[in-house]
Amino acid sequence: MNVKKKVSEDKKNIEISIDGRFDFSLHQHFRDAYINCKEKNTVFTIYLLNTTYMDSSALGMILLLKDHAENYSGKVVISKPSEAVNKILEIAQFHRLLSIEL
Amino acid sequence: MLAEKSDTKLALVVDDSAMQCKVLSVLLKEEGYRVFTANDGARGVEMYVKYKPDLVLMDINMPVMDGYEAARKIKGLSQDHSLCPLIFITSMDTDQAFIECIDAGGDGILVRPFSPDVFKAKIKSIQRISDLYAQVKTLQQEQQKDAELAEQLMSGVIEARNFSLDRIGIIKQPAALFSGDIQLTALSPNGDVNVMLGDFTGHGLRSSIGAIPLAETFRAMTKKGFLLFEIINQINHQLYDLLPADLFLAAGFASISSHDASVYAFNAGLPDAYLFSEQGMIKHKISSSHPPLGVLPKLLPDSQLTIYSIEETDRIILISDGIVEVRNEQGEMFDFERFEQAAIQGIITHNVSECVLKAVNDFCQTMPQEDDISLIDIPCGGWEHVLVASQGISNISAQQLDDIYLATDFAWHWQLTLSGKRLASINPIPMAMNQINEIEGHAEHWQSLYSILSELFVNALDHGVLGLNSKLKASAEGFSQYYKERELRLTNLEHGFIDLQISHYPFPNGGRIMIKIHDSGQGFDIKKYYDNRVKKRENKLQLSGRGIELVEQLCDSLDFQEKGKIVEASYVWAS
Repeated sequence: MNVKKKVSEDKKNIEISIDGRFDFSLHQHFRDAYINCKEKNTVFTIYLLNTTYMDSSALGMILLLKDHAENYSGKVVISKPSEAVNKILEIAQFHRLLSIEL
Repeated sequence: MLAEKSDTKLALVVDDSAMQCKVLSVLLKEEGYRVFTANDGARGVEMYVKYKPDLVLMDINMPVMDGYEAARKIKGLSQDHSLCPLIFITSMDTDQAFIECIDAGGDGILVRPFSPDVFKAKIKSIQRISDLYAQVKTLQQEQQKDAELAEQLMSGVIEARNFSLDRIGIIKQPAALFSGDIQLTALSPNGDVNVMLGDFTGHGLRSSIGAIPLAETFRAMTKKGFLLFEIINQINHQLYDLLPADLFLAAGFASISSHDASVYAFNAGLPDAYLFSEQGMIKHKISSSHPPLGVLPKLLPDSQLTIYSIEETDRIILISDGIVEVRNEQGEMFDFERFEQAAIQGIITHNVSECVLKAVNDFCQTMPQEDDISLIDIPCGGWEHVLVASQGISNISAQQLDDIYLATDFAWHWQLTLSGKRLASINPIPMAMNQINEIEGHAEHWQSLYSILSELFVNALDHGVLGLNSKLKASAEGFSQYYKERELRLTNLEHGFIDLQISHYPFPNGGRIMIKIHDSGQGFDIKKYYDNRVKKRENKLQLSGRGIELVEQLCDSLDFQEKGKIVEASYVWAS
């Protein structure tokens, strides 16, 4: 599967990594990866090093996760976006909305 | 609603053995079918065409035409209709026979001998599949019909009302029936042309629901004379309210002001937009400076339009990411370099949209299009003529003119004084125009009045209250410096005021509107100003002073008083 999830022992850190294309076809899997995490102050890291392409619905999915995280006083971090993906994040000016670790 | 067949179902049995036909008929009748029989494949096909049965049972070895061929013919005929299940009945229990049955289009196979119960169970299961198929087919047709209707309505509301389609080049090649991309153009009352290219998340119906409110807001606010930034602010707010969190609009905006020789641009989430010269040189790239609209409840505090000075022959091109992300069979992207080459070629040959579209299609060949492809190409010049010239006083008789100037009784008077912070944030011109429209009704030539009001107000604000020197605008570098300084002074504006008065003096078949604007600035040397004007005109200095020239053309008189702190303009029209 293209969506992988790692949870730290204290359950405060959740890493979701996407391999290959990040688009609407992953909608359900991506949502499943976080929707039941209702722990307070969780940091969700979206790991995008192996993501080859991302479309605007993927940006929308990230925004949904951001809403979810903020509902539980947590936050979202985008980690190591590949060059192609970073370009898309830049055009959408996502660094103004959440933190991106290059 | 699903159409239900009220009649009993029809079955067709094709078998050269009369005995077999009889046995199967009895079993089918017990299941509630009406049964027709045929004794060879060719006759079977004829009967199929005649009766359009709901089920076909087919023997394999028959004279004239065998079962495989008959099955192929029947399946060929039934392509457009609902699935008519076809079951082969045979005693050939081999893998080969089974494979050939399915290849010929059979939906199942029953190998003799079988018990009546197994036969009935088989018929039931195949009928269930066929019912499901019919249901899906009906739903799909209904959905397609609805979608086509909605698409018609949508393009009626959106594209058909765009302004100046003959001068603005547009590419719109949706990936689905509905495009998630939207192109809008509208004319502001002072002759500025506003354009927008938007790209909603995804494509198809889901992504186009936001298009109608967006188009309405963009048009209505442009028509009322709101500034581009105010329109963007409102659109962002509206989309944030209306759309779910994962649905948003990447959009590029441009407002071309011919008499100001400038373009105001804003890019929120689109690829770079371009300002090209006549020779196809890239003068500026306008990069995204804001997240897409509808994501944040308010625009980011530091957001602002960028302003570029333009030549009449320049062109602005906005694109959506669909163009640069088109892929060829090798998986390569079309990308910016190829796009720019095609655009430059298009500018030189005066056909940007066709050139770009051809380059894209040549590149991707037969590869299916994954995203909506769209582009807007707008010439920067040639928009002045759209301003309805003042109907002036040329067609008013001398007697009438005397009456007009002697009239001292106004029909109404409207006044607004803005000061300090409010002056920095409120644009009173749409309000004033609203008053005029409400009291006097709509008229085409109010456009001229709008231009007069906005020019005089901006002059009073920029040169009066903010004390900016228009000489700065004489060079292209000074031009952007001017707007930076303006932004700064506006933000820090604490004191200062502008008083705006409008009085209407009606007379038979026309009227006169007096505008008086008083600002708290230092004023200026009126005589020197007029002297400079003459010199400027001789030297054809273009970057400043055009606004006031336009006002002079539209008014029948324009007067500066009190060292230029007060300006009084008279606008007369005959209907």
